[in-house]
Amino acid sequence: MPDNNPFPLPKDELLDAYRRMRTIREFEERLHVDFARGDIPGFVHLYAGEEAAAVGIMKHLWDGDHIASTHRGHGHCIAKGVDVVAMMKEIYGKKGGACEGKGGSMHIADLSKGMMGANGILGAGAPLVCGAALAAKYRAKQKGGPSDVAISFVGDGASNQGTFLESLNLAAVWNLPAIFVVENNGYAESTARDYGTAVDSYVDRAAGFGLPGITVDGTDFFAVYEAAGEVIRRAREGGGPSLLECKMVRFHGHFEGDAQTYRAKGELEDIRANRDCLQRFTQAILGAKAVSEAELQAIDRDVLGLIERAVAEAKAAPPPDAADLTTDVYVRY
Amino acid sequence: MCLSSLGFPANHSDLEATHDMPSPPLPRTTATPDAPLVGLIANPVSARDIRRIVANASNLQLADRVNIVLRALATLAATGVTRVLMMPDRAGIRAMLSRHLQREHNLQHAFPQVEFLDLEPTSTVDDTFLAARLLREAGAAAIIVLGGDGTHRAVVRELIAGADSSTAIPIAGLSTGTNNAFPELRESSVVGLAVGLYATGRLSAEQALAPNKLLDVSIQSGDGIRRDIALVDAAISTDRYIGARALWKPEGLHSVFLTFAEPHAIGLSSIGGLLAPIARDAPGGLAVRLAADPARRQFGLLAPIAPGMAREIGIEQFEPMPAGRPFAVDLDAGVVALDGERELTFKSGERVTVTLRENAFRTVDIARCMRVAATAGLFRLCS
Repeated sequence: MPDNNPFPLPKDELLDAYRRMRTIREFEERLHVDFARGDIPGFVHLYAGEEAAAVGIMKHLWDGDHIASTHRGHGHCIAKGVDVVAMMKEIYGKKGGACEGKGGSMHIADLSKGMMGANGILGAGAPLVCGAALAAKYRAKQKGGPSDVAISFVGDGASNQGTFLESLNLAAVWNLPAIFVVENNGYAESTARDYGTAVDSYVDRAAGFGLPGITVDGTDFFAVYEAAGEVIRRAREGGGPSLLECKMVRFHGHFEGDAQTYRAKGELEDIRANRDCLQRFTQAILGAKAVSEAELQAIDRDVLGLIERAVAEAKAAPPPDAADLTTDVYVRY
Repeated sequence: MCLSSLGFPANHSDLEATHDMPSPPLPRTTATPDAPLVGLIANPVSARDIRRIVANASNLQLADRVNIVLRALATLAATGVTRVLMMPDRAGIRAMLSRHLQREHNLQHAFPQVEFLDLEPTSTVDDTFLAARLLREAGAAAIIVLGGDGTHRAVVRELIAGADSSTAIPIAGLSTGTNNAFPELRESSVVGLAVGLYATGRLSAEQALAPNKLLDVSIQSGDGIRRDIALVDAAISTDRYIGARALWKPEGLHSVFLTFAEPHAIGLSSIGGLLAPIARDAPGGLAVRLAADPARRQFGLLAPIAPGMAREIGIEQFEPMPAGRPFAVDLDAGVVALDGERELTFKSGERVTVTLRENAFRTVDIARCMRVAATAGLFRLCS
């Protein structure tokens, strides 16, 4: 008789994936509430609904791998292992934040975890990833063995930026261990993809630069996990760059406060009911009896406690000092 | 007989003029309410899966899919088809095709009137199911399908649901997928001509259509029965999850059931094709038991089980699969891959059977259409 786990990850890894996805979900839903109260400075762009992509990819990475994120970066940070309390402090603009409270939501970075930063500029992460991938390629050549990789996340809108297209070209000609993940949630801010993108297939874009590209259902953790495993392995072993399009849905507006009048009637209700990646994952692992409900509930309690503590510490922390204004502007790597 | 003597509607004099004027600009056709209707389902997301990473599988770009559609439309128009109803999508085909059709309109080139089905695209296989149903309800004479084995399977599944196979709408397949065992590699201009001849009534069903086999897969548990179909192959794997869907690893392959198996095929059906070929139009299929356990293995077989992947497959046994006889799968838990994609997981206590069905659905036999048309002189123009 086979055991109860039919999945390509052992039980503790399934629970870890659940914990990361649940943490992202609760983190974002809490920000949704706190932002509406006026507690948070600046803008926030929430990743709720898209968790399977970040976690399905990041489960294959180690700290030496680099990622460059987007406006919608909280999910990438949490999935890559950035400290949740430090993130919350950063978003609240407080001392002790991931960037000492001076960056805010769109600039969370933690180089110790290989997280090069969320980014306020659309498509700006892709060239950074080429640099990180070039460094990784050189290091691998020196030490031998599989290379670290660098992954650029962009949305479907940012994939129209020149920086992104130039980076595909650069990564291809230098055969970099780089992966370009297009998180396609169907809207560039409020513009539907088929309205603003001449060639709608991101795989076609990759082909234009001679890169292989694939599309996966970004709401299916196991589909992302398997596909990401192959593109990352390929990059580590010298197979060069590739593009991974994850088709996904976002539960909230482009930014908090977005009235989302561009959505079809009933669209949000439908995606929450039928395309919730966390729900799909939970049903799959519970349905197969690979994990127990009690184990998931224990994680839920931990996560809620963590978010509560993060918010409390963020609120209690002092703002950065004026004297620190120029600290960390330039950093030695 | 010649094209212009074969009963074009009276208002198609402009179309006849195209025969005297082979070079652009050609006049446009105008649709009439009773004009023959052809359906067109072009899957924008076929050939996008993981096999591009693991096996350098081809990637037919959207721009080329649109070109394929445009060529089929042009030759459908040349045979007098004035209305084409298409599946809409949000992945770029509709948007790009609409731009092209506007340009063709500006250039006064002859094209059918293209309308899109009234459905809200979800960018999932549900679009294909719904489009096939709407085309059936709209009374399409035939449906041209662009996609791989998976797309064709979805269209057929919908068309034969509750329908008599002798009356289900015939399909004409154009290969734009990864594993192309079912749709043949054809030039869409010729497919447009053949489908046009059938849709406009110049070729009868007996002349134009061919019967096809399929596999009925059922999974029976205490909760009921799940059913699905495969057009070419149903493969059983010891994998127990769906994941990225495509099945490309020979490890874990337990058995393969085949409706037909051609030695020149790519994909899992190549296993049968290289063991004991069975033609598309021959009776019966083939059941192959693979040997993960070296002790049970009779011999190894080198087969191209995915694009770019010739792999050694351990063969335990193979036997003919007569129509109507259920073959039980003796594996405790695993996944059933239908036409190359993992679709149905099954667990301990569930009973999986695979049954071959003959005369299950009809396809437009392009080669035969063109041969009959040539023999009958259907393409000869009246002076």
